[in-house]
Amino acid sequence: MSAARTLTRPGAIATSLIMIPLACVIGLPFYYVVVNTFKTQAETTMAPLALPTTLNLDNYLTVFSEIPVAQSFVNTVYVTAAAILLMLLIGSMAAFSVIMRASRLVTVLLVIAFLVPGQVTLIPLYRMLSQAQLVDTLEGLVILYSGGSVFCYFLIVGYMRTLPGEVIEAARIDGAGPWQIYWRIALPLIRPILITVGVFQTMWVWNDFLTPVVFISSTEKQTLVLQTYKAVGEFTTDWPMFLTLSVVVLIPMVVFFIFMQRYIVRGLVAGSVKG
Amino acid sequence: MTLIDERPTETAAITTRTRAARWWTSPMSTNGPTFQADRLKIGLFLVPMLVVFVALFLIPLVQSIWWSFTDFNGYSTDAAFVGLRNYENVFTDPSMLAGLGFTLMFTLATTVLITALAIPLAVTLDRAFIGRNFVRAIYFFPAIPSVAILGLVWGFILNPLGSGALNSLLQSVVGIGPVPWLSNSTLAQLSVIAVGVWTSTGWHAILYLAYLQSIPDDYYEVARIDGASAFQRFRYITLPLLMPAMTVSWLLLMTGGLKVYDLPITLTRGGPGFSTFTITQTIIQNGVSQAKYGQASALAVIFMLAVGAIVAAQLIVSRRLEGRLS
Repeated sequence: MSAARTLTRPGAIATSLIMIPLACVIGLPFYYVVVNTFKTQAETTMAPLALPTTLNLDNYLTVFSEIPVAQSFVNTVYVTAAAILLMLLIGSMAAFSVIMRASRLVTVLLVIAFLVPGQVTLIPLYRMLSQAQLVDTLEGLVILYSGGSVFCYFLIVGYMRTLPGEVIEAARIDGAGPWQIYWRIALPLIRPILITVGVFQTMWVWNDFLTPVVFISSTEKQTLVLQTYKAVGEFTTDWPMFLTLSVVVLIPMVVFFIFMQRYIVRGLVAGSVKG
Repeated sequence: MTLIDERPTETAAITTRTRAARWWTSPMSTNGPTFQADRLKIGLFLVPMLVVFVALFLIPLVQSIWWSFTDFNGYSTDAAFVGLRNYENVFTDPSMLAGLGFTLMFTLATTVLITALAIPLAVTLDRAFIGRNFVRAIYFFPAIPSVAILGLVWGFILNPLGSGALNSLLQSVVGIGPVPWLSNSTLAQLSVIAVGVWTSTGWHAILYLAYLQSIPDDYYEVARIDGASAFQRFRYITLPLLMPAMTVSWLLLMTGGLKVYDLPITLTRGGPGFSTFTITQTIIQNGVSQAKYGQASALAVIFMLAVGAIVAAQLIVSRRLEGRLS
């Protein structure tokens, strides 16, 4: 049966007729957020779902002038990039070592680490970081997020098991040392899983709220999510302003989604198969 | 936009353990003095991970467990051993009980609802129809942005005033007065659960979809030839083969539900009263803001045991179900 005929069967048309409107309902909150960024307070109250009458960019101008969005954006990029690099490095190094030496104990310990909920270690970690003067610093956040290397380890080690050992053997015969093998051979070989895990962990770090809200108190060190949370207090009466801020904060994630969705889904599935 | 065009290759690869640990330990390479030196060097690759494990997991975990038996307040140097008093307090303090209650309610409700919605959704999204990729992307999208931001946005939509987005919509379409979405205890709890379902159903549907696509079409073909009805095909082919996906999805939903914090705090700030308080919120409030380390640690330990017990119980139930369905 041809694709065109499959799509125009009564059943398929009925499915389209149900699923597309339903998807619109699911997506409605996003529509609501976006249209109201172009409206004044009065317009939003009068007709929350109507299209804006004019392309009014005042809200955007006010948000950018009143809220240090650029600063928080830079903070978030810094923390995310540093944390992801660190956890991929730590995770892949550990995976490399375990694969080469086939040690069991490490895996057992890391399973325990993986199962302990973050809430349990939160208070001791807060105390530990405050003694090290790292509370309310971006570096403190990076250190906390490096705990994500445990998750990276499991995905990377699973992937490494599927690689052929001959390449490594050949490199060894050619006189390559462990560091060279790791850097020149293992890392390029595991690139696909590094991307998958990296994308997945980026979503976690970028979107995380719990860690910044507990560990960050200064305005100039806020991440985007924390800043939005704090700004709600200021904007309680000015809805369009808050919604505009939300859109500004959501844009990077939407762009990320559009370009990375294949990897996001791949990470979702890989993360689940690991089990 | 295509979310899933094929079953990702590395996933299939992960499950098949091929030439596993032959990398370094094949007979030829274990001889000679360089091997011993290299073995040590390779051991050094573990050091960063061990540092992470000890500093971020082991020490804090031991500290939490120790503090839970003391009256440590974070400042005084002498923490007295108080036995199980902190644990008793957890079960008598109304805010702790409220947090425990709502967290369990949220976990149970979202697990049941999301599973009930995501499986039919995945089955539908697996069919060919016009606009399928668009629909898949829309359903999946709420899982992408920060839950905290979505909670804040929903807070505006569900604003209990007459001018709230949903209330003004209801006013103009159905003509009913303002509904106290977030100011009534029960409605606030239901709202948090509903938004939770909204954010995660698509994500779990895509997870199920990935597993659905690994079921060979032949199975359905053969069943159809044998005269199996659509329901029978679902019951005897799809459902048993989806059991592994269900195990994973339930595990994620339950552990995620028990850890929930972002959504209630941004949507309702735990209110009204303590009606949408969560365990995590209580731990943070007691441990960080009020420096009641002992009390907060006791709750954290109970929480960890509860998560462990639920995960274990869930795995056992899934095994049983897998056995019964297939």
